[in-house]
Amino acid sequence: MKRNTIGFILVVSLVVFSSFSFGQDLLIKNGTILTVTKGKILKGDILIIKGIIKQIGENIKAPKGVKIIDASGKYVIPGIIDSHTHIALTGTNESAEAITAEVKMRDVLNAEDRSIYTAISGGVTMVHTMHGSSNPIGGENIVIKTKWGKTSEEMIVHDAYRTLKFALGENPKRSNSPTVGTPRYPQSRMGVNAIIRREFLKAKNYMEQWDRYLKAKESKKSPKNLIAPRKDLRMEQLADMLRGKMVARCHTYRADETLEFINLSKEFGFKIACFEHASEAFKIAKELAEEKIGISVFLDSWAYKVEASEGIAYSAAYCTKNGVLVSINSDSGERIRRLFNDAAKAMKYGGLSEEEALKLVTINPAIQLGVEKIAGSLEVGKHGDIAIFNEHPLSAYTLCEKTIIEGEVYFDRAQYLKEREEMEKKKKEEEKKKEKKGGTK
Amino acid sequence: MTKRTFVFAVILIICASFSLTQEKSPSVIAIKGANIIPVVGEDITEGTILIKDGLIEAVGKNIDIPAGAKIIKAEGLFAYPGMIDGSCYLGLEEISSISATVDYRETGRINPQVKTVEALRPDSMHIPISRSNGITAALVAPSAGLISGQSGLIRLVGWTPEEMIIKSSVAMHIQFPSLPRLRRRRETQPREQASKQVKELKEILNQARYYQKRKDAAKKNSGLHLPEFDEKLEFLLPVVNGELPVMISVHAENDIKAAIKFVKEEKLKAIFSGVTEGWKVAEDIKKSGIPVIFGSLNSVPPKWEDGYDAFYRNPGVMAKAGVKFAFSSGSASLAKDLPYHAAKAAAFGLDKKEALKGVTIYPAQIFGVDKMMGSLEKGKVANIVLADGDILELRTNIKHVFIDGKEVDLSSIYTELLEKFKKR
Amino acid sequence: MKIKENRLFICLFVVILLFTATSSARVTPTYAIVNCKIIPVTGSPIEKGIIIIRDGLIESLGPQGKISIPEDAEIIKAEGLFAYPGLIDAHTNLFLELPKEEPRRPGTMRTSAAEPRQKEKAQHPDLAAIKLLKPKKTAVADLHKIGITTVLVVPERGIYAGQSVLLNVNGDKAEPMVIKSPVALHVNFTTARGTYPSSLMGTMAFLRQSFLDTEHYSSYKSQFTESSRGLKRPEYNPFLEALSPYVVKKSPVFFNCANLEDIKRALGLIKEFKLNGFLTGANEAWRVTELLIKNAKVPLLVSLNFKPPMTSIYANQGEELKKKAEEEIYPANAANLHKKGLTFALTSQGLKKPSDIPKNVQKAIKAGLPKEEALKAMTIIPAKFLGVSSFLGSLEPGKIANIILTSGEIFDEKTRVERVFVDGISFEMKEPPKGEKPTKVNIAGKWSATVSSPMGDLETTLEIEQDGNEISGSISSNMGKWEIRDGILNGNELALSIAATIMGEAMDMAFSGTAEKDSIEGTIAVQEWSMELKAKRIPDGEF
Repeated sequence: MKRNTIGFILVVSLVVFSSFSFGQDLLIKNGTILTVTKGKILKGDILIIKGIIKQIGENIKAPKGVKIIDASGKYVIPGIIDSHTHIALTGTNESAEAITAEVKMRDVLNAEDRSIYTAISGGVTMVHTMHGSSNPIGGENIVIKTKWGKTSEEMIVHDAYRTLKFALGENPKRSNSPTVGTPRYPQSRMGVNAIIRREFLKAKNYMEQWDRYLKAKESKKSPKNLIAPRKDLRMEQLADMLRGKMVARCHTYRADETLEFINLSKEFGFKIACFEHASEAFKIAKELAEEKIGISVFLDSWAYKVEASEGIAYSAAYCTKNGVLVSINSDSGERIRRLFNDAAKAMKYGGLSEEEALKLVTINPAIQLGVEKIAGSLEVGKHGDIAIFNEHPLSAYTLCEKTIIEGEVYFDRAQYLKEREEMEKKKKEEEKKKEKKGGTK
Repeated sequence: MTKRTFVFAVILIICASFSLTQEKSPSVIAIKGANIIPVVGEDITEGTILIKDGLIEAVGKNIDIPAGAKIIKAEGLFAYPGMIDGSCYLGLEEISSISATVDYRETGRINPQVKTVEALRPDSMHIPISRSNGITAALVAPSAGLISGQSGLIRLVGWTPEEMIIKSSVAMHIQFPSLPRLRRRRETQPREQASKQVKELKEILNQARYYQKRKDAAKKNSGLHLPEFDEKLEFLLPVVNGELPVMISVHAENDIKAAIKFVKEEKLKAIFSGVTEGWKVAEDIKKSGIPVIFGSLNSVPPKWEDGYDAFYRNPGVMAKAGVKFAFSSGSASLAKDLPYHAAKAAAFGLDKKEALKGVTIYPAQIFGVDKMMGSLEKGKVANIVLADGDILELRTNIKHVFIDGKEVDLSSIYTELLEKFKKR
Repeated sequence: MKIKENRLFICLFVVILLFTATSSARVTPTYAIVNCKIIPVTGSPIEKGIIIIRDGLIESLGPQGKISIPEDAEIIKAEGLFAYPGLIDAHTNLFLELPKEEPRRPGTMRTSAAEPRQKEKAQHPDLAAIKLLKPKKTAVADLHKIGITTVLVVPERGIYAGQSVLLNVNGDKAEPMVIKSPVALHVNFTTARGTYPSSLMGTMAFLRQSFLDTEHYSSYKSQFTESSRGLKRPEYNPFLEALSPYVVKKSPVFFNCANLEDIKRALGLIKEFKLNGFLTGANEAWRVTELLIKNAKVPLLVSLNFKPPMTSIYANQGEELKKKAEEEIYPANAANLHKKGLTFALTSQGLKKPSDIPKNVQKAIKAGLPKEEALKAMTIIPAKFLGVSSFLGSLEPGKIANIILTSGEIFDEKTRVERVFVDGISFEMKEPPKGEKPTKVNIAGKWSATVSSPMGDLETTLEIEQDGNEISGSISSNMGKWEIRDGILNGNELALSIAATIMGEAMDMAFSGTAEKDSIEGTIAVQEWSMELKAKRIPDGEF
């Protein structure tokens, strides 16, 4: 893998730097296509031109020179979307302070994080990579495509919602971190709520100060010695929340704190795009459906801390059946490659249908991230982000064979196996040589 | 008494006797019409399993069902042996971050005297969840330190620890000192320390042998002083006497080789656990005859060069080399996922039938209880799972679980909370 | 009268003494370097030339015959030698004595109420290297030996690490060395410990906010200066004061780029705040050449450190690739930049010791960097970047006499620096004592050893294998052949373990002692007993 990786990267860098054109051309033939939103095609083709799906159907003729992938006997699904991860970042939390809205994941993207490769080995083509949960208000997250080998800028998805990370419960109140000496405020759920309120009140005050200054500046009777207020990056972020330019993605576990946060959002008029983890969501499915706020959950990771001790595996399916938009996330550089297994469990724990289960890791997270126009299902006009599996993706016996982003193959298991074989061969030859040399002492 | 009253009384008595017999678990149960996968022997389509007094009385296609037997209609269902978890923390952990609920780790490095079955919480919320996914027995193992303690084998049903214990001492667990190759960048154990620890292990085993000798000598000669009681050595005696196997947790290639040597030199009965780089030395492991319990396959291999699927490939490679193996969940809260580790290994090269054996007959053999469980054969305990599909599959629903011939409750905190909030 | 005369005489004498003592800097000899090959860097080389040095400057230079040798000149015969401008290392941490760092305490952010909060001050833009200079004779000698005559001394710790100073390495006293101070503000994409910002994302936000605050502070101050009536006076802020020259007056800011993302981060900040930015470190510059071409105005100072940073895939996909990266791929950094037409200086940033510099320059040349470019990158280019090219960086009349005389072409492996001039002061290089390479003890082979125990002497044969400093093998005697395990050879100290089986009992014996090329001596410990071991090597061919 190593030599080819270098070669691959060098070649790709050259190609990219010469002329950045969007996506490639590709024809996938004869696969069982699970579009997720428009049904199933038992034996079908997908034609991608310059990274966009141009045609889905049976017996598509290959335009000249287009690369063909034979997917006979394989399953073709939309690239999986993980809407809650921390991969491809240098660092996860700025935990020295409780409120750090000014920090941006954009500043610390790391295109060389091995977890990106782990993700594509499991069919994931897009992730929402986020600030951690050490703070009631963390930082600004970012959506990227897992284009292993490309530069960090090339990975950024610009059409997604701007999102700010919030966190409630044990993590931001630091219950599970060793504290020596003066603890960081807040240390209770009351404090977490109060500090979020405080910051929004500060932001409102900040916005008003600027409004007054700008008005005074423009007015004809501008007072002498008008000093501009200090531009505060933290307050600017919260102001953007209040202006509707950014939405909240809030980490929560207990049902009550989730409801309290909805109250806060109403108090200040900001929008919540999604609750993260929400292990007690099944208790308040009604409210979540009414408020039209989605959740992004683990299927069955639970009982690792007190607030997760009632996180039942049925929650995802139950909430789905009760009108909540549910996505499954991994929040892990390892579990990210098994999201399709987690989706399958939603059939067992709660009786979701195949299609409903697949939606949990494709179109649902796309909608939550605001990228449903370009990803999340196999439809003409969307990006050619595709994962090909050797068995049905919801089977425990399946594995991902190819992961394609905008028509370009980023993960190819057949290629990987070939390279392993060559590596093993080389190793054996080297060992034989060593033995001959070592020989008699 | 009037005639009417008399008849009424007789009817009452007859009804009462009926209900009485119904309260007692039926001594004969017949599972009819299931597709039987006995694991040992050929699969049987639409067969019958007869359970009597907790044991499997018969398995076959055309079995005579005795009168009075309770019949379980299993048409369209698949019957499997109950699965066995090769190593987990069921009953020993509730919430992993709350140490008050964690009891499989003791402080100190040498603790042969502690036994997991003596810390068992039969009422753990994790046990019904695992059980309702078709797992009927499990090895509950200690961790931490150099010599962690003794594991035991339990059935996943019972009101008290006594009722759960199948075998109170299965193996002595050792965390093999690792040469710093499997660690990520920062090496936590310099080479000298690792070999020092191996020395330490050998030391203490030698001391135990000597302790035994002195005890024996003192027995024969009442004039000789008894050796001073030493707890650590006392509990290592079954190990050095070859009665109790050691279960050695070991991962890196060189460590495995060192562990094989160690076992040979110390003349111990051994089982290896973890063995994530086992595929590199499969031949050596096969030659040593040491069986292997795989841990959870859900970690990213630390060495890039080993390949992203190294842990997934591992069981297939080892099985092909002829190594005896079993799977484990290595967890409490995710113990129910035992079958999916086997399925993952099957996706990456392990034969599907072997994968199933890895959660049924193979762990039974490795733990020395294969005469009791691990397959659907006459004479074994009736640990049976009825499912609507392949039990290694994610989408399969488990319909019935029998442990020792009694059907067990499939409810758990999952279903209880769900029912509670459905009522909102 | 006599006394009066004497007193007068004494007064005169004293006055003359004083006069000479207080007159300007010591008089340096005038030199005429004759018959050497001169490579001025700016201009074509002169095959056989003369350089005249007077009062610390190059008075004249030219081909033999065209330059007349002044009377007072000390003639330096330089047949077969090469004269180059003294090399400029635009990043060194030598000569700095930093305030003692608090020892790192493991674990969490918060400390006990009793202990003072362990905040590491990572933001000290006012830390001036010039105040912390401590030149050492050995460092000066080390630099001269490799031809370096000018260094930029850079404080390296912290986010705002401080301000650098440019020195001419003309001796071991700080003040006479100073050419320029401060030269630049140095920024690292690192974090503070125990306080905000404790993460890279925090540092980026912090840097931006500090630039914004400096602009705001500065404009508030100017506004107050212009018309103070009715305005609350601005509060003095030492941090923002220290940053003002760099953010507002656009003094140079050097960004240390440990990896390719840092380069992007630095360029982003430079653009956003219109800073007079420089990129340093940048050993991954070869991976972002297009971006650098777009930003060619930003001076680039690449380090000769070839270790792939921790974030790099080259460091994370196996030992083989990591080695290849350090030996072949990263050394080609400068060559790649040159191929793309980028201008850059070479520095020693990140190297452990000065002697690594020529080694790594050679590696860079081997990887494709033309030798002339390497020379430029350590002479005229850094001089230009640092704003001192009018008097340093090349051999031209009127420039400072920073000259090195080498036995061969510069950067060649066999070339030695024979003599160095800094500010016209001559430093002759002494020959190092020959053949004093520390040899590693190799004890592989066959040995005959006598083990002395209370029960008598045991004759044994040792067969030792050595891999680096790991020792293994076996020891044979009439009691059997036992394995030698876990052997470590540290210098001359040998420790190993013998896996003995005595009367069916396995017993581990520990040996510790000393080993020379042909003899090993030490003690074997077994339970409570100890025995002496003396071994002599069996020469090859004997049995």
